[in-house]
Amino acid sequence: MPGVIAILCRCCGQIEPAVDLQALRERIGREAGVVSVEFRDSLCLPEDGAAIVKAVESSGADRILLAACSPYGKAGDVVSALCARGIDRSRVRLVDIREGCAWIHRGDQTGATAKACDLLCMGLGFLRYGGCSTDAVVAVRPECLVAGAGSAGLAAAVSIARAGFQVHLVERAAEGGGMLKLISRVYPTDVEAAEKLRPYLEEVERNPRIAFHPKTRVVSATGFAGDFKVRLASVTGDVNVRVGAVILATGAGVWLPRGLYRYGELKEVLTLMELERRQREGKTAAKRSVFIQCVGARCPERPYCATMCCPSSIKNAVLLRKADPDAEVTILYRDIMTPGHILERYYRSALEAGVRFIRFDPAQPPVVSGDGHVERVEVFDAISGVKREIETDQVVLSTPLVANADNAKLSELFHVPLDGYGFFREDYSLHPLETRQGGIFICGSARWPVSSAEAATQGEGAAMKALAILGRKEISALSLSRLPEGKLGHARIEDGACSGCGNCVAVCPYDACTLQRVGGAFVSRANKMRCRACGSCTAVCPNGTVQMPEHNARAVGAMIRRAFAEGDAG
Amino acid sequence: MNAHGMTDKTTTPRVLVFACRWCALVGADAAGRGRADLPASFRVIPVECAAMVEPDSVLRALASGADGVAVMGCHLGGCRFNDANHVALKRMEALGDLLDTVGIGRRRLLLSFGAAHEGRQFTEVLGAFFRELAPLPSLAAWRKTLLNQPSFR
Repeated sequence: MPGVIAILCRCCGQIEPAVDLQALRERIGREAGVVSVEFRDSLCLPEDGAAIVKAVESSGADRILLAACSPYGKAGDVVSALCARGIDRSRVRLVDIREGCAWIHRGDQTGATAKACDLLCMGLGFLRYGGCSTDAVVAVRPECLVAGAGSAGLAAAVSIARAGFQVHLVERAAEGGGMLKLISRVYPTDVEAAEKLRPYLEEVERNPRIAFHPKTRVVSATGFAGDFKVRLASVTGDVNVRVGAVILATGAGVWLPRGLYRYGELKEVLTLMELERRQREGKTAAKRSVFIQCVGARCPERPYCATMCCPSSIKNAVLLRKADPDAEVTILYRDIMTPGHILERYYRSALEAGVRFIRFDPAQPPVVSGDGHVERVEVFDAISGVKREIETDQVVLSTPLVANADNAKLSELFHVPLDGYGFFREDYSLHPLETRQGGIFICGSARWPVSSAEAATQGEGAAMKALAILGRKEISALSLSRLPEGKLGHARIEDGACSGCGNCVAVCPYDACTLQRVGGAFVSRANKMRCRACGSCTAVCPNGTVQMPEHNARAVGAMIRRAFAEGDAG
Repeated sequence: MNAHGMTDKTTTPRVLVFACRWCALVGADAAGRGRADLPASFRVIPVECAAMVEPDSVLRALASGADGVAVMGCHLGGCRFNDANHVALKRMEALGDLLDTVGIGRRRLLLSFGAAHEGRQFTEVLGAFFRELAPLPSLAAWRKTLLNQPSFR
């Protein structure tokens, strides 16, 4: 006869005397559906694991109630071991009567025993209604989409292609290179940007596994990890691709300091990017230069440090000094941000090269003066407390990188969130380069402003994460969770009962629930590949149509009803 | 008089705790391992996320013998499920309004986000909730008296 076998672990004497196990056994034995109650000295000993299976078989029970320690203790392993022996997880319920009862109510045997009894009854209620999600398996498309062909995107595309998978490399410009095409040299090696790009661009040209789509944009995207359907639009027509993973490497944009430090008014006031262009073209004739750091950065609108402007200014200052040893170069800074030993050495090399550094207080910013052209910069030296006047021929403003304007559109298309500044937001800190959607990864300055070297590092990292999906023939929905114990299950929406109110759609943090039109009415559908089993939808469904089988309303209801039953009786 | 300063065990408030298994349940577990001393009149239901707790479940718990319900989740901003707990907090605040309206009072609903992920914190938060509930009448007894009034029969 099917029923429940209750196994009470003595935990080598840790449970008694706080809980009266003998009384508990008698009380549970009287519960309907319980066919057998057994004691074990210690469930976590290997011989007891085999003994449980034997006891279950001989009792004829089809469900198991374990009363032992907490799931974070050994009991969690016992449940996993049982499941490994072929017992369905929904048929085992673990009740914690050690950490959650015996150890915290040592002075109150009556209360603790009543509580243990209630906890076991709650477990019984759960076993009666608890279910199990059916898994979904998706065949993985062995192709990858990389959006953006800058440092990060190129590195990602090349890594994936070398691993043997097809890559669609999408770029909105006519050719790849991204920000590297705008600058002269890259810090800290001072290699020419074009030199750095060349091997990547050659590989893109040469490798048959990389399909380069220039002047192309992503216009629509559906699907989930393993099988995304993406539509690419260009002047030559639209292309549909199906890919297993997506890497967003759209880079960042440049912020123009309109109205600050007389930018736009005096033509000798440049941004760092404009100086880079002049350096690339060999048109830097200015004898005296002043750099102003943190222009439009670390201010209320953009409170972040863009990390690349200090090393970039240092690089250009040193290059100016090297090109012309008589050049006078001054950097006005708030704080010099050169973390790590390489950049710190880079900063020191600038000091040795004769670049002058003057610190200013953001409350008293420097003033650029001149009539028709730049003549001097006045600055209050925050360290020596002296007002200085620096004669100069040009002023270079270090402005931060800002989020790419395309990010908003891509965020909508791929259902990945942006942070407060428009950069792509990582899924919380334990999962670098991953977004909240499985199979979609971010790298480079699309994620946060970084140097080209770091962007390439992140691109390769994102490629490795994408390969973990692409390398599989198929993936199952339950395996998609990155949580250590795997995913609890996924939301299930009963056909026919959904009223189409859309509450679950509004609340789902992963856009797994969507409204679909079926026969003239809207009904909600839950995508198993996107669902992460948080259960938000079940909490807002007005008629209980959405349920997590592992944590359904009837099971929880049964637990709530029994929560204080013994307390009432006693 | 027992160790918790309550004169009679039958008047110890009963508390049902919905504990997120990523933080508050870890806190409860640590409280156990630290041999905390807590009244035996609370029960824990583990949930995957605080967002999973239906407002209906809270009401059902209050209707089936609990004097108070605690919903314990992660720090706001530290949710494993893409900030689902922010929405859960709003939902539970709205439920608090409802409890105030019907006369049960939001004091019987404890919302704790990120304050109970260590054993000592779990003990403190729950202990404070017990102290908050202690002067309030028992909901179960109150319900019984109500139901026994002639107008309800």
